[in-house]
Amino acid sequence: MSQRASSSTDPRFAPLPPLLTLEAVGKTFGSHVVLDGIDLRLAPGEVVAIIGPSGSGKSTLLRCINQLEPPTSGRVTLGGTVIEAGHTPGRRELMNLRRAVGMVFQSFNLFPHLTVLRNVSIAQERVMKRSRAEADKISMQLLARVGLADKAQQYPSRCSGGQQQRIAIARALALEPQIMLFDEPTSALDPELGLEVLAVMRELAENGMTMIVVTHEMHFAEEVSDRVIIMADGKIVEQGVSRDVMRNPQTERARRFLHAVKDR
Amino acid sequence: MTDLLDFWIEHLPSLLDGLWVSLAVTGASLAFGIPLGLVLALAVQGKSKILRSLAITVVEVGRGAPALILLQFVYFGLPNAGLALDSFPSAVIALAWCTGAYTSEIIRAGLEAVPHGQREAATAIGLTGLDALRFVVLPQALRVSVPALLGFAILMLQASSLCFAIALPELVSQAYLIGSTTFRYMAILVLAGLLYAAICIPATIAVAALERRLGKHA
Repeated sequence: MSQRASSSTDPRFAPLPPLLTLEAVGKTFGSHVVLDGIDLRLAPGEVVAIIGPSGSGKSTLLRCINQLEPPTSGRVTLGGTVIEAGHTPGRRELMNLRRAVGMVFQSFNLFPHLTVLRNVSIAQERVMKRSRAEADKISMQLLARVGLADKAQQYPSRCSGGQQQRIAIARALALEPQIMLFDEPTSALDPELGLEVLAVMRELAENGMTMIVVTHEMHFAEEVSDRVIIMADGKIVEQGVSRDVMRNPQTERARRFLHAVKDR
Repeated sequence: MTDLLDFWIEHLPSLLDGLWVSLAVTGASLAFGIPLGLVLALAVQGKSKILRSLAITVVEVGRGAPALILLQFVYFGLPNAGLALDSFPSAVIALAWCTGAYTSEIIRAGLEAVPHGQREAATAIGLTGLDALRFVVLPQALRVSVPALLGFAILMLQASSLCFAIALPELVSQAYLIGSTTFRYMAILVLAGLLYAAICIPATIAVAALERRLGKHA
């Protein structure tokens, strides 16, 4: 039972409520402030790109959403699940949250001892309680979707970086997430391999997947995402419609960052 | 020379009986000790302070005390506390303790060799901590640990000769017994040594080969 279906608001009659809401989310490591009061709302189907200099807290923000890093303050609401900083979330809440959130890492993090097929199937069996046959069937469909059905019986080490990242996307999609988080998905890839990953992401976006993409791919941010958020020093310094933010930033900090990026 | 061969052939059956006991006590110690090592490794890394200190105590005593002391403690010491065991179960308890203590360090190193991203990915796809351990972390950690564990198993076969001190009729005890009746200690101990070598040398070569093979696919 997906959380969207159990929501009391019927989307046919009311404007869509935000799928994901962050309220004053903060994260500190000791005295070091990594995230400082982040507010963010994502409508279903929205694609948001987060850009900004290294150390600005972009990755930490993603990791706070699925609680890989528990935030030290604020509140994360996804579908019907509310997680408040300071209250250790229950097991069931955490499981619901992680099922609803797919995550793709910069370094792929595929399981090297499992075949490509098993990488995609394992969570379906253990988390969704699908039978192996059913899980494998769905995994094959997902692998076909990312163009890698022929790699199903291989081990990840036999695949190129771009292929591995596409497998990682299939693995995340296997849980039928409501939102996908991408943490610099192409940063470990050479530009050519990055393109095949971006193509898969573009296809996801076009098919209505809600996505947050931390990226250095300025073209992707401008062309594919609906909204761009620029972060610096743990804060959102500017956000808005992608083209406006990218071409005509309003704040000095955003201008400086975009200037530096475009000068390369 | 024929005299020596005749002597060896005559006593080989009782030495083989002893070797069988050595292998049995080693096998049983490993069968209990390695799972114990896994539990200790997890407890040492775990969050619970009580479990952690308990595990560290068991590991440090097991590694700190000579195996001979552990054997004698279980066989001669425990009866004072009301628990009298035969030499075989005593040997298994003492050597399993020793195995658990040493292999927990081997397995811990294996666990630490699994990149943190693997645990994160497992968590992110919704696996419970136990499932992440079972399907993601342990298979990779144990693959790293296998060569060291097998190397340790070979050492344990040699260490089982210490059970001579608690009257277990293993290989060295048998050799000693034959020596004490024939007074040909030199000849019989050489044969016992050859039997150990006949197992340990091929085993060591096999472990090295396995290590190369695992290393290739890691």
